[in-house]
Amino acid sequence: MPRTTTVECPGCPPFRALTFDALGLIKVIEARGKEGGVPKVVERWGDPDASKCVLAASIDDRKTDPLLAVARKSGMVEVLNPLNGELSVTVSNVNSGSARPEDDAIVGLHLFRRQRLELTSRSCTLLTCTTKGNASIRSVEMTDSPADSGASRTWSVCASGNISCSLVDGSESYAIFGGKGVEVNMWDLDKCTKIWTGKPPPKNSLGIFTPTWFTSATFLSKDDHRKVVAGTNSHQVRLYDVSAQRRPVISFDFRETSIKAVTEDLDGHTIYIGNGSGELASVDIRTGKLLGCFLGKCSGSIRSIDRHPELPVIASCGLDSYLRIWDIGTRQLLSSVFLKQHLTKVVFDTNFTEEVKHSAADSALHEAQSIGEVQSADETEKLPTKRKKSSKEDRGSRKKASKDKDGSKKLKSKKRSKILENEFADDA
Amino acid sequence: MGGKRKKGESEGMEGDNDSKNNNKKMKQKSEILPSSVKNKEKRSAVHAKLKHQKKVEKRKKLKARDAAEKRALELGEEPAPKQIPRTIENTREADETVCMPDDEELFAGNDADEFSSILKRDRTPKILITTCRFNSTRGPSFISELLSVIPNAHYNKRGTYDLKKIVEYANNKEFTSIIVVHTNRREPDALLIIGLPDGPTAHFKLSSLVLRKDIKNHGNPTSHMPELVLNNFTTRLGHRIGRLIQSLFPQDPNFRGRRVVTFHNQRDFIFFRHHRYVFETKESKQSDSKGKKAKDAKGESIAKEKVVARLQECGPRFTLKLVSLQHGTFDTKGGEYEWVHKPEMDTSRRRFFL
Repeated sequence: MPRTTTVECPGCPPFRALTFDALGLIKVIEARGKEGGVPKVVERWGDPDASKCVLAASIDDRKTDPLLAVARKSGMVEVLNPLNGELSVTVSNVNSGSARPEDDAIVGLHLFRRQRLELTSRSCTLLTCTTKGNASIRSVEMTDSPADSGASRTWSVCASGNISCSLVDGSESYAIFGGKGVEVNMWDLDKCTKIWTGKPPPKNSLGIFTPTWFTSATFLSKDDHRKVVAGTNSHQVRLYDVSAQRRPVISFDFRETSIKAVTEDLDGHTIYIGNGSGELASVDIRTGKLLGCFLGKCSGSIRSIDRHPELPVIASCGLDSYLRIWDIGTRQLLSSVFLKQHLTKVVFDTNFTEEVKHSAADSALHEAQSIGEVQSADETEKLPTKRKKSSKEDRGSRKKASKDKDGSKKLKSKKRSKILENEFADDA
Repeated sequence: MGGKRKKGESEGMEGDNDSKNNNKKMKQKSEILPSSVKNKEKRSAVHAKLKHQKKVEKRKKLKARDAAEKRALELGEEPAPKQIPRTIENTREADETVCMPDDEELFAGNDADEFSSILKRDRTPKILITTCRFNSTRGPSFISELLSVIPNAHYNKRGTYDLKKIVEYANNKEFTSIIVVHTNRREPDALLIIGLPDGPTAHFKLSSLVLRKDIKNHGNPTSHMPELVLNNFTTRLGHRIGRLIQSLFPQDPNFRGRRVVTFHNQRDFIFFRHHRYVFETKESKQSDSKGKKAKDAKGESIAKEKVVARLQECGPRFTLKLVSLQHGTFDTKGGEYEWVHKPEMDTSRRRFFL
């Protein structure tokens, strides 16, 4: 008799996530309803075009004026508004005289969080890193002209080899890079200097030396830039401590394919790793002990894992075209959404809460809606009607925020019941 | 007293119940269950009797049904609607990954994938066939038959080359696919199809191989280009595998030939058959001729009654089952898998992936 899993997918808490795929499409998946909400694809931005394959993405999840940066295969970096997909600015990453974008594809992208003071100037800063090791920080004005203004620093991270992962830490002053033939190294972004390089572990007893190939890396906690976890192509996960030594502090093996995605948990000592054959697991990095695997029929390589900053859920997406939401405590699959293309990245949009929309401009349908009592059936039939043009000022809700979206005046789209809170989310 | 009475009553009731139960039992099952009889001879006798009874009942039902239909036809009225047998394919679990006909993303994905250049006829397929390092017994004959089935295929001995090196070599020589036949215990048992230059790698488990000489009344394949029939590849994964197989054969939509190669997918097993056919004109009252198109769907056209196609099987016959589909070229350690079969996926007998 085949082994049957009798647990059906329970509903998942309300969330909003954006996924990016290999055809350049950005899909917004929302789950509404307090209990048992089924996530659905709410919107799809972009036209399917393979040259616009999304290679990296980063979200700046502010209450007001959130931004989403997307790096595409054609070498363009686009800055969008994550609420309605509007393009604010396009920046080309191609330096004159350098290789074509296809050879030197962007591997890492980070959108720096902007301070309040910069809000008035409406510019954003991006860090991009390509496979050949050209990293650059540039700040871009958000006006209509896509010219790249302001400071732009470019430097080369590695002399030889290819970079395959690059991350910026929570305080946004340090960045790590690692790749094929490139050891993990940490750079201080303010001074543009390399402050630390890792060293490979000593040869094992058989004298076999595995070449360095880091496929994923992350900082262990938002506040501490000194601990770094990196996953290699030879199914090993290593913890480095910058303040202690150059060799890895702990390293352990996980299954048999390369570790494609690593994400840290908020408690600072648990990490989630996903590998090339679709296995997702959580590990306590203090001891190197495997806490448990997430079982749920994931059959394709996991490309990206993201942890929701508030709710105990993680999202994983990968080459089997499914977006899966898991509960952290029970390691159970909460739901899965089929998205038809190879997915490359998922980010959570944290400022989404299921609240009443107090919009006066729209019809009485919204008055009938109340907090938390909406069943998903109602949601599905109301969702189409929510997509109406509405003016923005009537989004006042119980929480204080009133949206201030100068950048997206032409709200050609869809309403969402979204109350933005004043918090920063580190979703790089 | 009351207790006694109650006991008496209950006994009485029990007796009643027993008799009722007995009656019921006798009405429902007038025989004893074979598993309750300990004596083997008696038990087998009871079992045989049961089976015979069931057979008789079934035949009676069938006769009654046929008679009813005949009567209805004679009377000119509608016969009772035919009952549809329940099969596993009928009761297959609804799969959300099934390709819908109007899916724009599917077409865009098709344009963007690795086979589009071959399928749009920008490149002609050129296949390299090789084996695993130890090849024996049925392997070489299977390979020679494969060479005759797939046009423009070349065979190279494996030697001791690494598969990754072979991929490089094939890329240099501009092959479009590599097929590796893997042998285990002197029988071919796995097929690895690698698309080039950086196409997906599909690993199939091969079973039920019947070579040409073992087929009764086989025919020898002609040298025409084969037509390809791909059946029942409904899901996205199935569609991708279908395109992978399609990229092995030359594309020519308006082509009529005399050879047809069929890959029929049923319950995640892909059955390979190779026939040659000829159209003949025959005087017959009622027949339907099968016309075969060169690409996907099998078309049946009921034309005039006189043209009939005769089929003769030639070539090997085997079944494939997909084990894993890998995103790049062959690299088990460092590669990433698009689909790999895991035992935890087999939770339902009605769920199939291709």
